[in-house]
Amino acid sequence: MDTVGLENFLIVGGILFVCGVVCMAIKRNAIGVLMGVELVLNGANLNFVAFSRYTKLGLDGQVLALFVIVLAAAEAAIALAIALNFYNNHLTIDVDRADELQG
Amino acid sequence: MEFTHLVHLSWFNTAYSLRLFGPELAVVAGILGLLFVRLFNIERFFPAALVAALGAIAALGLSTHQFVRYDQYDAYKIAERTREEAKAAKAVLPVGAGRAATEAQRQLEYRAEMQSLQTRGGYFTQLLVFDHFTVFFRVFLLMFLLCVIYLTVISGIPDREDAPDFYVLLLGATLGMMIMASANHLLMVFMGIEMTSVPSYAMVGFLKGRRKSSEAALKYVVYGGGAAGVMLYGISLLAGLLGTAHLPEMVQSLAEFSRLHTDVGHDQAIRTLVLAVVMITVGLAFKLSIFPFHFWCPDAFEGASAEVGAFLSVASKAAAFAVLVRLCLAMVLTSQLVSVDAKSAEEMVSLMRLPDILRQVYMYVGIGLGVLAALSATYGNLTAYTQKNIKRLLAYSTIAHAGYMLMAVSAMMVILNGPGELNANRIHQASESVGALLYYLLAYLFMNLGAFAIVALVRNQTFSEQVSDFAGLGKQAPVLAVCLAICLCSLIGIPPFGGFVGKFFVFYNVAIAAHYHPVMYVLLAIGVLNTVFSLFYYMRVVKVMFLDPVPEGARVVDIAPLSDAGRYALLATIPVLLLGFFPEQITRLTQDVARQLF
Repeated sequence: MDTVGLENFLIVGGILFVCGVVCMAIKRNAIGVLMGVELVLNGANLNFVAFSRYTKLGLDGQVLALFVIVLAAAEAAIALAIALNFYNNHLTIDVDRADELQG
Repeated sequence: MEFTHLVHLSWFNTAYSLRLFGPELAVVAGILGLLFVRLFNIERFFPAALVAALGAIAALGLSTHQFVRYDQYDAYKIAERTREEAKAAKAVLPVGAGRAATEAQRQLEYRAEMQSLQTRGGYFTQLLVFDHFTVFFRVFLLMFLLCVIYLTVISGIPDREDAPDFYVLLLGATLGMMIMASANHLLMVFMGIEMTSVPSYAMVGFLKGRRKSSEAALKYVVYGGGAAGVMLYGISLLAGLLGTAHLPEMVQSLAEFSRLHTDVGHDQAIRTLVLAVVMITVGLAFKLSIFPFHFWCPDAFEGASAEVGAFLSVASKAAAFAVLVRLCLAMVLTSQLVSVDAKSAEEMVSLMRLPDILRQVYMYVGIGLGVLAALSATYGNLTAYTQKNIKRLLAYSTIAHAGYMLMAVSAMMVILNGPGELNANRIHQASESVGALLYYLLAYLFMNLGAFAIVALVRNQTFSEQVSDFAGLGKQAPVLAVCLAICLCSLIGIPPFGGFVGKFFVFYNVAIAAHYHPVMYVLLAIGVLNTVFSLFYYMRVVKVMFLDPVPEGARVVDIAPLSDAGRYALLATIPVLLLGFFPEQITRLTQDVARQLF
């Protein structure tokens, strides 16, 4: 039990995922929600790297993780720009105030 | 293997892959061209739309060539040719020939070997796949891209200053969709989805200084990011459990997995696998705007301009369906495995047969998709009733149509995995369901484009997108009104329009699937009932256009039939009629494409 195995990594990844989902669900600040998304992505990344070390997934897992890091950066750039645009029009980034479109 | 041969092999492999990747490269060239236009400020001589259109035309030309002259690109055919060349070269080789000649000979043999290693047209180290399905979707998406570029030129939605940025986003999203359609690896599935989503978020928020547009973009990016994250986590679990992220290998690992884990009730691994599949379904359902994950769709469409709505509703949905079909087939089709290391024919047969438990699970996956389809169609149609904004109405209609199209995928899964032996006849029936889906997508392209385009063109005159403001359109711009009426009738599925034929094919295949599982009869009944429901809200728009009196002080729509706008409406509507009147030829095409997939 002294060695660190696959389970340990998966548990940390799972915790990150759950934290991210909870963050997305309860945060009213758009930036907070986006941070939740990042947590989820990084939970998945941890899984990929752990699987690539301990299962026959091999280097595919690490390549996936690398690509996801880049994609997360791209998504964050767009998301922050959109949040800024929303702020310019509404003077808030509270997602609950985004309620004009309904029906 | 010697080092020089390794270099030669990888060089040849890359050259071959780049040739197959041509259309995507042309789109990338278009994007670079747009960036140069912005950099050197030469928009006056080269309008951004022109550069974007040139990129799209080049890509469309290349992919049409791939479609028509498929043999020139097919790995098997090339391998056969090179093998013959190698044989011929060997025959003429004199005894004791120089070192150079033997070298050339060996290189030819290596090439032939390398080519035969490609399983079902995989390229770029099997990350992407090249087959008829890929090429069909490339042509489909690029054709649609051109239509959208032309529409934006007529309706002038990106102003001069923003045009290069807008077209970069448009081309970038299309590039992502093309990668989605040719994905052969879970990495490429996710990359494609993200490359499509990220520019789409920006395009939804492209109307500067509009409160609604920024709100729509924020909602889309928050929900979209969340769905993508959940999907990625699902992908990580799936890849880890199966030990592979390569789609054609998944079926084999799944079969092994089901042999190792038989205790369905208590095995942790099985629960994890189910969780992974559910998470991936959530991500895809979000892209498809299927019922429980549809909530972004009406808001995004109402806030975005109608042109962007048209693009998102057709193109991103088509690409997501391509991915869905590929993932479903990757789980089911054992014939994907060309390089199985089987010793004998019997072993081969036993490898080709899926364990019964797995097929049963897949059948329930198919039925589950059917349930989602039924919910989505019903919800979309019922909610569309109360809508006053026409873009919102069309958004709910796209939710309903995603439901109809999902029925085809559900029918395919049930036909392939229902009880009884899987034989050639059933595989043929399953390929027909995919063919029906492709036909539906083609019809949907034109009818939805037509509807959104006319909304955009009328908006340019009336500055309104309320259904009530379409009153009097029948008298003021009869061509546009008739075209919109045709598109809407086609969306309902009234003969003789294209939408009817597509819907008929889908329902026909659901009826065939009902032979394998009776639940499909319920799905069929719900589908037909929904068609009746949808009649009323589409017809309300037609009634407003032709029968309602023009309110006092309403802006007059002045669009001549032969102006650009009038011609565009005709351009979008005529294919709807053609698809309705001459289904045989196009069915043959879509069925051919679908058959090659199996």
